[in-house]
Amino acid sequence: MRLFEFESKPILAEYGIPIPRGRLASSPEEVEDVLRSIPPPVVLKAQVTVGRRGKAGGVKVARTAEEAMGLSRELFGREIHGQMVERILIEEFVEAAKELFLSITIDDSAGRPIILASQEGGVEIEELAAEHPEKIVRELVDPLRGLRGYEARRIAKAMGLSGQPMVEVGRILCSLYRAFIDYDATIVEVNPLALTGAGGLCATGAVMIIDDDALDRHPELRERAEGRMEDDIERLAFRLGIPYVRFDGDIGIIGSGAGLATATVDVLRSYGGRPANFLDTGGRITYEHMKNCLDLVFRNPKVRALLVNLYGGINPIVEGAKGIADFVKERGLHVPIVVKVRGNFEEEAWRILEGAGIEVVKSSRTEDAAQRILERLREAV
Amino acid sequence: MAILADEGTKVIIQGITGRVGSAQAKLMLDYGTRIVAGVTPGRGGQEVHGIPVYDSVEEALKEHEADASVVFVPASAARDSVFEAIECGLRLVVVVTERIPIHDAMRMKALADAKGAVLIGPNTPGIITPGRTKLGIMPGNLYRRGDIGIVARSATLAYEIAANLTEAGMGQSTCLGIGGDRVTGITFVDALRLFEEDEETRGVVLVGEIGRRVEEEAADYIREGFGKPVLAFIAGREAIPGKRMGHAGAIIEGGKGTAESKIEALRRAGAAVIDRPSEVVEVARDLFR
Repeated sequence: MRLFEFESKPILAEYGIPIPRGRLASSPEEVEDVLRSIPPPVVLKAQVTVGRRGKAGGVKVARTAEEAMGLSRELFGREIHGQMVERILIEEFVEAAKELFLSITIDDSAGRPIILASQEGGVEIEELAAEHPEKIVRELVDPLRGLRGYEARRIAKAMGLSGQPMVEVGRILCSLYRAFIDYDATIVEVNPLALTGAGGLCATGAVMIIDDDALDRHPELRERAEGRMEDDIERLAFRLGIPYVRFDGDIGIIGSGAGLATATVDVLRSYGGRPANFLDTGGRITYEHMKNCLDLVFRNPKVRALLVNLYGGINPIVEGAKGIADFVKERGLHVPIVVKVRGNFEEEAWRILEGAGIEVVKSSRTEDAAQRILERLREAV
Repeated sequence: MAILADEGTKVIIQGITGRVGSAQAKLMLDYGTRIVAGVTPGRGGQEVHGIPVYDSVEEALKEHEADASVVFVPASAARDSVFEAIECGLRLVVVVTERIPIHDAMRMKALADAKGAVLIGPNTPGIITPGRTKLGIMPGNLYRRGDIGIVARSATLAYEIAANLTEAGMGQSTCLGIGGDRVTGITFVDALRLFEEDEETRGVVLVGEIGRRVEEEAADYIREGFGKPVLAFIAGREAIPGKRMGHAGAIIEGGKGTAESKIEALRRAGAAVIDRPSEVVEVARDLFR
């Protein structure tokens, strides 16, 4: 879950990281109001949860109130990488002598946190990483040990800093690391960290992404994450803890596992079928869970057929089969449905499904199931 | 002797009194796994399918010798259980639990590395050496003993690959899942290294998917002179960038981790990459002759 900048910054401030004075506005009238308490020059920052916002024109500097009003009217309602701008963060303008870059993220290969830091931050950081990787300091952190103050200062020194700014950046890095741990973040990034002519530091840009699997430890964030999902079905799925991604086709897909469901989408598509969704039951099938999964799929009005692909390993597929059979009966569904199911207690699962008049594929070839649902769909037309 | 686990491996089950832990302990027992004890704090003194339950790993190990633990503890308590297993000296820890926070996974991995334990998972189906033992949740009826190694990120997709091979009469030496999350214990390269040394393994099927870099790292390892034939399948050609396809690790971000780039890397390294899962049969017949 990626936080908005207006959410990340107060968190960083709690950890003693200096941030610019700022306020949020969701209409030009509110902008006018904000400008009375934060007089220009100001920076207007479109609040979206996608990257490369600055490059897409989502960040503007205004020297006067008129300019700020004009720019805010342009920003509201604009789309940035597909996301509508509904709010603008207005901040005091901080003159940077130098723009630093500090980031803590996870190195998947090492399985450890990694600190990335550079003296050349700003909007061109990705280009810098690609063209001059030597200008970015990289250091893995032992997650059992954490980051020590002297190590953070060593990183600041390796960035090319000295004197008080070196000490101060070291301190900020330690604060960022604490926020990274406390919030179960997968990224905590300050870019830019403005170094002013007077030697002060200020986090003028900030990004935080929280691990979706840790949201139970942060209930207030879980609620927010749910609220900001745009698709109704995806939002309900998120609430139920069911991985669901909507596509634009007409064949609903349920798979008992992420890789299997992904492969089912691929295989169906390879025969010219159009999946309506990806849905992974995970390893938590029960009678109710299976019914919830079918309910999600059929909430999409485009769905004209259903392909279910299950393996009974951790999952009690007999319970799953009962859930499917009852759902179909209770809803009086007449669309083509094909269920491929294998594994522990497969024969009982087959019996239940066939008893409910549902077509069962008993081979372990997803290809067979995909071809059957396409045949059934053709017959139905 | 297969890899990591065989009929001699003695196992404890952490979380054995839970719904899943208990059901899976029964299936493992039926398969022939040597389960010596179970652990659930507060349930010491009970029995599950005749297996004695202890309050802690330490107490279980006072009464029984064990080599490995299979963890079914809920995500919120899994980190502590894994620490306990590793710190009590178990050399192999299989973490089946899904949706464990990534920070917990990083710490588990770091501790396993520091103590020289092998961590499989989290979010793994575990490991099966067909006909001999299984430490995990794979449906045993889909496997048979043979000489093909399977290593996968996805549990159920790996079952499908194994079942296709089994139906065609081609058995497996050992099959394991590295886990579907972004950070896992052992990876494809570790598994390849083990399979390379295993006399019973003739060749390896690698089942990957979008996200992470483990397939690319495996490709580098294969190119540097892996001595056995590799067959690969990668799921997620049709995935939408930026959307997590179920697994925490299965996401294309910033154009990285696409199925195409993995397929390309594996092909260049000399692996035979199939387009659909059931093609495994024909290609394996030829490649692992």
